[in-house]
Order: sequence, then C-alpha cells, then structure tokens
Amino acid sequence: MKLLSRAALIHAIMFGMAMSIPATVMAKPFRIGVCYDLSKAYTFATPQVAQAAKDLAELVNRKGGIGGEQVEVIVRDHGNEPQRGVECYEQLSREGVFVFDTLSTPVSLAVLPRAMEDGRVLMQSLVGRGDAVDGTVFDWVYPIGPTYWGQAANDIAYIKQLHDGDLSNVKVGFVYFDYPFGQEPIEILKTLSKKEGFELLLYPVPLPGNDQSGVWSKVRRDKPDQIVVWMLGGAHVVASKEMKRNGIPMDKYISVNWLNEVDIANIGAKNAIGIKRGTNVVGGQDIPLYKEIMAELYDKGNGNGPIEKTQDVFYNTGLAMYSIMFEAARKAVELQGLPLTPDSYRAGLESLRDFDANGLMAPITVTAQDHGGGGATRIEMWDGAAWVPQTDWISEYSDQVWAVVKESSSKFGK
Amino acid sequence: MDPVFLAELAINGALTGLLYSLFAIGLVLIYKASSVPNLAQGGLTMVGAYVVLALARDVGMPLWLAIPIAVAIMFGLGFGIERVALRRLAGRPVVMILMITLGLDIFLRGTTLAVWGGTSRSMELGVSYEPLFLGDILVSRIHLVGAFVAVMFFAAFLLFFRTRLGIKLRAIADDYMASWSVGISVERGIGLSWGLASVVAVSAGVIWGEIQGVDQALSLLLLKGLTVAVLGGLDSILGAIVAGIILGVVENVGADFLDPLVGGGSRELIVAAVLILTIMIRPHGLFGRHDIERV
Repeated sequence: MKLLSRAALIHAIMFGMAMSIPATVMAKPFRIGVCYDLSKAYTFATPQVAQAAKDLAELVNRKGGIGGEQVEVIVRDHGNEPQRGVECYEQLSREGVFVFDTLSTPVSLAVLPRAMEDGRVLMQSLVGRGDAVDGTVFDWVYPIGPTYWGQAANDIAYIKQLHDGDLSNVKVGFVYFDYPFGQEPIEILKTLSKKEGFELLLYPVPLPGNDQSGVWSKVRRDKPDQIVVWMLGGAHVVASKEMKRNGIPMDKYISVNWLNEVDIANIGAKNAIGIKRGTNVVGGQDIPLYKEIMAELYDKGNGNGPIEKTQDVFYNTGLAMYSIMFEAARKAVELQGLPLTPDSYRAGLESLRDFDANGLMAPITVTAQDHGGGGATRIEMWDGAAWVPQTDWISEYSDQVWAVVKESSSKFGK
Repeated sequence: MDPVFLAELAINGALTGLLYSLFAIGLVLIYKASSVPNLAQGGLTMVGAYVVLALARDVGMPLWLAIPIAVAIMFGLGFGIERVALRRLAGRPVVMILMITLGLDIFLRGTTLAVWGGTSRSMELGVSYEPLFLGDILVSRIHLVGAFVAVMFFAAFLLFFRTRLGIKLRAIADDYMASWSVGISVERGIGLSWGLASVVAVSAGVIWGEIQGVDQALSLLLLKGLTVAVLGGLDSILGAIVAGIILGVVENVGADFLDPLVGGGSRELIVAAVLILTIMIRPHGLFGRHDIERV
C-alpha cells in the first residue's frame, strides 16, 4: 500500500511536470523513415538523395521547423533486400514513424502491402509499382513524380514535336535493360505506336549492360530516327561508346531520368554533347533552393556530405522528393494543426497544388485520385557544359497512360 | 540474314570472346597449380581496375605508370592471399578452398564499395571510339586492343611454361606430391600462380573497365570467364583462347537469331547452356586433361 501510494505520487508529479512543459519543448520531431539501399544496386543514386534529404531537413530546422516542430530523416541501409527493408519499416514504425521512403523497387513492393494495412504513408518516387499513382486503389502510397509509362509517353510526345506532329514514317528504337525496369514502358510504347503510326524497334540489353556491341550494330543497320533508352549508370557509358563506334549521332539518344553527371563525366563532357534525358527535376545548380543550401550549410562547413555529391542531378532529385514531403507536412499542419498524424499528413499531400519547390521541378498537383502529381517531365540536352531544356514540362497521352494504370491497378489484391 | 551483318556479328563476337579469354586465363593459371576454380577472379579483376584508377586519379600518376605499379601491387596481393588465406587450408577438401575464394570475392566487392563507393568511374585509356570499318564490317578498336592483349598473354604464358620456373609450375600441376618429394616448393608455386592470375586480372580489369566503366559490376565477368575456362578445359590456356572465341561468336550470332523469337535475354541462356552442356558432355572441356571428370 505504501509502495502503491509512492508510485501514485511519482506519477502525479511527472504528470504535473509534463503538463507544465511548454508545447514547443514537448513537441516530437516529424520523422521520415529513409530505408535506402546504401550498399548495393541503388548506390549510384542513394548517397546523393540521402544527402539532399539530410541537408533539406537541416535547412528546414534552421528556419524553425514545421509548425514549430523539428524534422528528422532517419537513414538506414537495407542493401536492396526486401526482408531488411521490411525490418527497417517495422522497427521505425514501432518507434512512431509513419512516413517512409525506400527508393528501391523490390523493397517498395515488399513494404507496400504492410503500409497499406498499417495506415502508413509510403512515398515511392521513381520506383515501385507504377500503378500506385491510382489513389483510389493505393490509398497510402504516393509515387509522386512520373511513372515510367508517363515518362516514355512524354518522350514520344517530344519525338512527335521533332517530327512536326507526324510520326507516321518515323522509326523509334527502344534500347532497354532486359528485366522489369527496362521492360515496363514497352506496353505503352506499343499502344502509342498503334495510335501514332510510328514503327517501334525493340533492342533488349542483358544485364549488367557491359556488352552491347550486337545491339548497336543492329541499331546502326535499322537506322531508327530516335532512340529511347531505359538503362542505368555504366550501361549509358557503354551505349554512348557503341554509338560513337557505329557512327550514330548522340542527339538521337533520349534516356530515362537515370542518367547523371557521373555518367556524363564517364562518357566525357565533349563526347556526350547532344545526349538527352527525360527528367522531372531541373538539372544544374542554378536553383534557388540549391543556392540557399549552399549559403546556409556548405559555405559554413555544415553540409551533410561532400559538396561534389550535390553537383549531381540525383541530389536535385532528392531535394525535390523531400521538398514535397516537407511541404505536405506544412500543409497538413496548416489544415489540421499539430500533432501530425498519418491521416493529416495524407490530407497535406493531397492538398499540394502546382507545387514546384520554387522552380526546382515539374509542378505537381496531388489529389485523392492521382497520387503521382501529374507525371510531368521535360527533355533536357547536354551541350558540353550544362543541361539545356528542349521542352516545357509536359504530361502527354494521359488517357493512354491512365488506361495502362487502371488496367494494372485493377488487378491489385486479386 | 545479310552475310555481311552475320560476319560483323561473328567478328565482334570473336573479339569480345577474346576479352572473356583474357579473364579466363587468370582462372586457368590458378586451376593449373591448385586444382581449384578461383571464384574470386571477378573480384580480383575489379580490384585491379580500382587500383589502377586509384593510382591514376587519386595519386595523379599517368596511366602508363599506374598500370605497371598496379600490376606489382596486385601480384603482391595475389601472393599474399595464397600465403594468408589458402596455405592453411592445404590438405582440406577442395570445397573448403572453393568456399574461401567465394568469401574472398564477397569481401573484395564489399571493400571496394566501402573505399570507392558504388559510383562508376571511367578508365580513359585514350582508345578512339570513331567508327573503324574493315570493308563493310564495323570493328571495335577497344575490343581489338583487348584481343591483342589476350593473345600476347597467351604467347607470354606459352613461353613462360617453357622456362625453369614454368616447368616447376607444370610439375606442381601434374603431381604436387611428387613435386614436393623432389624439392619443389609447392606453396611458393601456388603463390606464384595467384600472383600471375592477379596480374592477368589487372589487364582484364583495365580493358573491361575501359569498355563498361569501373564499378562492382566488373566482378560479374566471372560467369562468362568461368564458362570459357570450363569449355576450354580448366587447365588449358590454349583452351581458354579457343573457347573464348567460340563462346563470343555463339553468343553474339545466336542471340541475334534467338532474341526476336524469345523476346530478348537469350545471351545469358546461351552462356548457361554452353556451361551446362560442357559439364554434362565433356567435363574436361576442349583441351583439358581427361582427369577432370565428373565424380
């Protein structure tokens, strides 16, 4: 009895103390679980993206946080192993984290059903199920940014612009990694080939893409007018050398978004002149947010990694992804106040309208139906020193892309 | 099919195959001395390329100097691996030695990732990528250079195995117990073969690094290199050269026929089929000793 009353007394004192602490001191940080592959397949991009996430979080905190709450990104390595990704999700979820980012297709696929069941927000820009843009099916998943279907469709729209709006006598080559990432756009390309009348030529490249000599010999003989390329990292370097060897002009090459400054350096800045990529973020460093980070963090020696990693389009991609996440939190606080909850955060995401992080990326509008934000991209061309935009932000063939999305999402859970 | 295009596929396939041979020679050297397929040869090739780049980019040496220094470093590394990791396994089942080479490969991949990161780096040997036509046939200059290096290594090892030291290595390969009994240092011989295999790994790493960039994917050359070594006969350097040409041609020409039929991906199938069929039908390969047989 004596023990009980002492315990009750301690509880009462602690409760009283808690009540008397100002809200700002009590506030818990808004935390994002960044479960990334920092050691295997995605290391061509994850260090830059993770560094951008940390830099942006620090900048937000220096400016007072979100609604007075600090923000925190918790970075863990899952080595692109689904089970480790799920463990990362489970552990952080138990610690109260309710927003996750995996930047890995296999891990995202593994985490997705749990996040849906647990009511946790899964951000999966540029990876994972493309059909998760369908918010009516995937209510807790936000693949904000273009799907590969949308990107490929926008590439075709650009090619149509190059050919004065008529693709009927045009040959489009598609050089792709012969596994799901590379194969994903084929259906939409076939659909658009029927619609626009262009000839689609398929060139599969076996992983890891180190031997492409046979492929580019065929390309040379087939003479496609434009070549859309769905490969990564070193495979771009191999492809560019094979193109040069085969006398194929570099300006026919339109890459998926995964082509960065490291690839350009490996190809050679001069040799790469003319190469193009589809992108949803602005390349280069002439970006207000980037400059602010440099002034506030790196110039004062407080950056979260080497400055060279910031001079890479994947750093900009990271800034874009986390600008969206922090802006959604800001909106959520604005709409429903503190504390942030999974539901209020979702409401914040779905209230984003034409958000472009001050010129950093394609404007996005997220709705309950469209979790992709519109899927706009633009084509940029390397001019030897910088990326030069060739189009405005475009999001074309929406009907065809959404038909593919709906067809795929309708099969989820069946 | 257009015969000119077929010839182009065959010639470029043969050149690519000789690059596989360059890799496979390293496997053969170790197998000849220790009767173990070295599963770390891919890792050694990758490390060889990284060491060259570290000397050239991080230290600032010219490539012509960085490559021989890397050769010396890698020779020491190969010798050291035998001394530290393998010598204590003498007399143990072969599968134990096989497993340690697998572990070594994983260790080397992890180490390069930790030290140099996962970002691909370029070798920049300065070989031109301008089109080179022999008649109507387009040929890759870097593959030509690589094939020349492979043939030079083949010739050098032919000569080496006629020297006193080379004859000792052959004796070890024939019968290490007998070699011991006549006073040949078997341990040093096996160490030498690891050192030489590491030297070959540098050349393969430099050529393949020029073609595909230097990153952890270089270690994946093991599958094709091993297929070439098995097809040629695991203990035959001539076999590695001939098998490399065969695999390169079959892979390049065969994939062109099969890819449209199966929707792509047939290269890997062809390589796998060659490996499996060789082991099933002719385990000692084209030029290997007949005592390499199925258990």
